Amino acid sequence: MEPAMGPEKSILGFFPSEDRAAHAILALRGTSWSVKKVLSPVPGPKIFDALNLRKSRIGYFTLAGGVIGFFTGFALAAFTALQWELIVGGKPVVSLVPFFIVGFEFTILFAVFGNVAGLIHQMKLPDYKGLVELDPYRDVNRFGILSSCPLEEEGSLIAFFKEHGAEETIIV
Amino acid sequence: MTGMTFQEIDARVLKTLEPPSKRYWIAVTLLFSGVLVGAGSWAYQIYKGVGVAGMNNPVAWGTYLINFVFWVGIAHSGTLISAILHLLRASWRNPIARAAETMTVFAVCIAGLFPFIHLGRVWMVFYMLPVPNQRNLWQNFQSPLMFDVVAISTYLTVSILFWYTGMLPDLAVVRDRSEGLRKKIFTLISLGWTGTHEQWRHYTRAYLFFAALATPLVISVHSVVSWDFALGIVPGWHTTIFAPYFVAGAIHSGLAMVITLMIPVRRIFGYEKLITPGVLENVAKTIILTGLIVGFAYATEFFMAWYSQNPVEMEVFRFRAAGHYAPGFWIMVFCNAILPLFLFLKSVRRSIPILFAVSILINIGMWFERFIIIVTSVGRDFIPYSWGLYSPTLVEFGIMLGSFSLFFFLFILFVKHLPSVSMTEMKEISGHGAGHGS
Repeated sequence: MEPAMGPEKSILGFFPSEDRAAHAILALRGTSWSVKKVLSPVPGPKIFDALNLRKSRIGYFTLAGGVIGFFTGFALAAFTALQWELIVGGKPVVSLVPFFIVGFEFTILFAVFGNVAGLIHQMKLPDYKGLVELDPYRDVNRFGILSSCPLEEEGSLIAFFKEHGAEETIIV
Repeated sequence: MTGMTFQEIDARVLKTLEPPSKRYWIAVTLLFSGVLVGAGSWAYQIYKGVGVAGMNNPVAWGTYLINFVFWVGIAHSGTLISAILHLLRASWRNPIARAAETMTVFAVCIAGLFPFIHLGRVWMVFYMLPVPNQRNLWQNFQSPLMFDVVAISTYLTVSILFWYTGMLPDLAVVRDRSEGLRKKIFTLISLGWTGTHEQWRHYTRAYLFFAALATPLVISVHSVVSWDFALGIVPGWHTTIFAPYFVAGAIHSGLAMVITLMIPVRRIFGYEKLITPGVLENVAKTIILTGLIVGFAYATEFFMAWYSQNPVEMEVFRFRAAGHYAPGFWIMVFCNAILPLFLFLKSVRRSIPILFAVSILINIGMWFERFIIIVTSVGRDFIPYSWGLYSPTLVEFGIMLGSFSLFFFLFILFVKHLPSVSMTEMKEISGHGAGHGS
């Protein structure tokens, strides 16, 4: 059984740069407090490293789409050719080279569909609920770290953020 | 590095979305009038029949196919800038990537109209869709024309999805900085983007895959367009260099169009700090490269015709350089292969008015390239008895005017309603973060 958790407070610290935010995340990992969310105006590879994030699994969706696309394109061309088995231009009814081109274009098309499906699935888009939850606390041009702590450690966490370069802290 | 803060970048780009001036509405009205001329010309052609165009026997492919190839070509540099240069980590492309992607979307839409127009009986378009007609006949997927239908449809779909996905973080910025109806619309279309690390983690990966998929696609699309010609036996078309030659030509014309669009946009919307002369200079340097490739392809075609000693092939190329359409041929050679060489001079590259003039001339040259390739080849076929000439009619000029007007009309609507410079990518090169695909 997990130990019973007491009431918690969430603190959002705003940092002026990716470097400072990443540094604060690394320091947070050495404490008992957890990082719940990081908000940033640009993709931050240093933040990703500090959070030790795994690579996104979107690639599997993309790959699946591509494989399905190739066979769909090739099968469409072959199926339609077999409906009326006409010899055109002296080529076999099911011609590998031209049908490969159709297969290639479908590979790209379906891989992109897979990519978009992966994006929607993994990011849980559209996420209007998440927007409503975070909206009052967001600052579109600063790096925010949302961390939680037991109620009695609220002051310590705010002090920790300030010590690591936070320009502002908000109790969420 | 732009030397601008995140707030300054947002303010600069969002200022372009403020209510437009009277001059903007005048431009909208003029361009819309051009669109109406095009639509009217097309309606007239549908009513009277495709015979009102100048296409004839033997020149059955005229300005409609010329414009089709031209607009597909224009589309290509958008993908070069947004996808290929992204993969190469060329961050100088960031200020112009959004506009170039938008240009791609609009150019492919317009290109896609021309096969419809060329059909004459446009309601027969379903013959190109993968559904059987009344006699249970399906499309012939061995035909390069069907490759084209598949390739262009894929390109349009992928370009739109890439463009929209790339814009998501910026749509959220607009949402956060607007009120009323605009806020509601941007809330809806930004799909609840908040910029959390989880969103960025998936987004950067997806963007990288988009770029990786768009790169082979863009090369394949214009290769397929070139095969519309090269897989036929017509002299002047039946050549193996067409695919790389067309791809290079497409990027050449597209880059020129990027400059043609970005110089006025930069001036009108005060983007001088974002789209610096250095950015335009880098586009100009790329034009030198594509111009050299295109010039080499022109020379190679002539060499192959001469070295083969094939009289039919030799006659086509003699006709191009010294026949009825020789002025068009020399405009093509000068504008596409010789003029870009002046961009080797730094003073030319750094002069915005000269660069603007050069970009327009390259566009004209690239239009003539398609005219020369298409018309001189079918007009000078194997049998002298079947030789013929072609000149566009007023209806074709009307439709062409309509297509150019529609392109610029859509573009000026875009710059007033959506962020025309990617704020996120500009912030990335202002010293924070390291790129979408990292």
